[in-house]
Amino acid sequence: MNMISLIWNYLYSTLLRSWMKWILRKITGRCELQRICANTVQGAERTMKIEYSLKSSRNEALKTSVAGSVEDVENRVRDIMVIKKISIQKNPHFKLNLQICLLQVSGFKKLFADVEYLRKQPFDSSNKQHEDLLLKLWQLMMPNVNLESRITKQWGDIGFQGDDPKTDFRGMGMLGLHNLVFFGEHYTKIARQTLSHSNHPKIGYSYAIVGINLTEMAYSMMKSGLLKSHFYNLVPGVPQLQHFHQFYCYLMYEFDQFWFKEEPSSIMEFNHYREQFHEKVKRLLQDSKTSLTLNFKT
Amino acid sequence: MGQCLELSAAVCRIGIYSCFRAFCCKGPPSPRTEYDVVCVGLTGSGKSSLLTQLCSESTENIIPTTGFSIKAVPFQNAILNVKELGGADNIRKYWSRYYQGSQGVVFVLDSASSEDDLETARNELHSALQHPQLCTLPFLILANHQDKPAARSLQEIKKYFELEPLARGQQWILQPCSVENMDAVREGFSQFISLLEEIDQEHIPGRI
Repeated sequence: MNMISLIWNYLYSTLLRSWMKWILRKITGRCELQRICANTVQGAERTMKIEYSLKSSRNEALKTSVAGSVEDVENRVRDIMVIKKISIQKNPHFKLNLQICLLQVSGFKKLFADVEYLRKQPFDSSNKQHEDLLLKLWQLMMPNVNLESRITKQWGDIGFQGDDPKTDFRGMGMLGLHNLVFFGEHYTKIARQTLSHSNHPKIGYSYAIVGINLTEMAYSMMKSGLLKSHFYNLVPGVPQLQHFHQFYCYLMYEFDQFWFKEEPSSIMEFNHYREQFHEKVKRLLQDSKTSLTLNFKT
Repeated sequence: MGQCLELSAAVCRIGIYSCFRAFCCKGPPSPRTEYDVVCVGLTGSGKSSLLTQLCSESTENIIPTTGFSIKAVPFQNAILNVKELGGADNIRKYWSRYYQGSQGVVFVLDSASSEDDLETARNELHSALQHPQLCTLPFLILANHQDKPAARSLQEIKKYFELEPLARGQQWILQPCSVENMDAVREGFSQFISLLEEIDQEHIPGRI
């Protein structure tokens, strides 16, 4: 059966698709891009279909139109409409819709590049901005307690592993710290509640280390493209770093709820529950109409 | 005449069949022995990085290990099922719960760590060496981070960790290494696997 579906897919993508598109264009008077915009609402389904349609095109200019920069989108939209012989004056809605789709596609790629840039920045103690951000995290999470010194066992109170949080940022770099600070700054009450949950005597966990694990989870979901539908549904344009941070906040809150609901026997089982949580979020993201956000404000 | 033809046909059939068997049917390769091993060490010593690198995977995104994780690490003549335990202060108290069923111990230390951390590592290594469930098992001690300028030499580590007096009567291998030099790591594991094989064979009755 697998062999048959492979053959079918090959035939479809090379011959049948172009025949069907040609027939449909003759019948409806509109090309595939126009039909997609007409048959879907603005969101992930539309953007992903437009992205697929352009990438599968045999025209080089169309194929590469998904790969350009955010600044270049207006030019590319014009080029596409010229190639497809769609009048710009007569189809202003289509032009706008196509523009939004391309902004989302190029914007997602740019956002991933920004996220990767932050991840590759190791925490540097000689960089004042890095040090200030770390101290800001302490102040947000422990407003009534002063740090005795920069190197102190107190860091363990917010879930770092040793006297100096520097080494805990390995792998996710400054991205991990920015995520933690964003959560503490924009959802302060929830972040502090999560911290106090994490200090549970029996099934507590290390707040900051779990935070870094969830940064890794968000990062890998973005890298694999799984987060595309989430961003395409959430932002009708270019997604920003704050949107990535907000997805992280969703993960922090939801993981805390998940962990205590599952009642693990101890922190040693973390990886097992982390994977289960990961699978749960992946399943939610497979629905092309979903975007995952925290629904309350602090 | 008929019999001649039948005979030659039969000989041909046997000849073709034998050639076929010789070229195509080599039979399944003999399975590699599996050993269950526990991997411990302080946080940041490099356990996850070394194990991941041994599995030929990228070490770029490795974050601190919380809890434990299991990895099947393939070698030429064995597969080690490694139970890697996180090394943070709050997790080390759980280490002994995971010793059951281990056939060997891999202890990773950061040769370039601070004096305090080195002392903590020494205490943990001594506890492991003396633990009832581990004291009869072979130990592979990886003096990692040898690529850092502050790394202590093999002799210094051997002396500081008092391996000779303390681990007398036990089988241990001290291997200096770093993620930049995986050959040294594989050399250490190769010797370690030989120890595991020797012990395995001792337990099989009738073997010479």
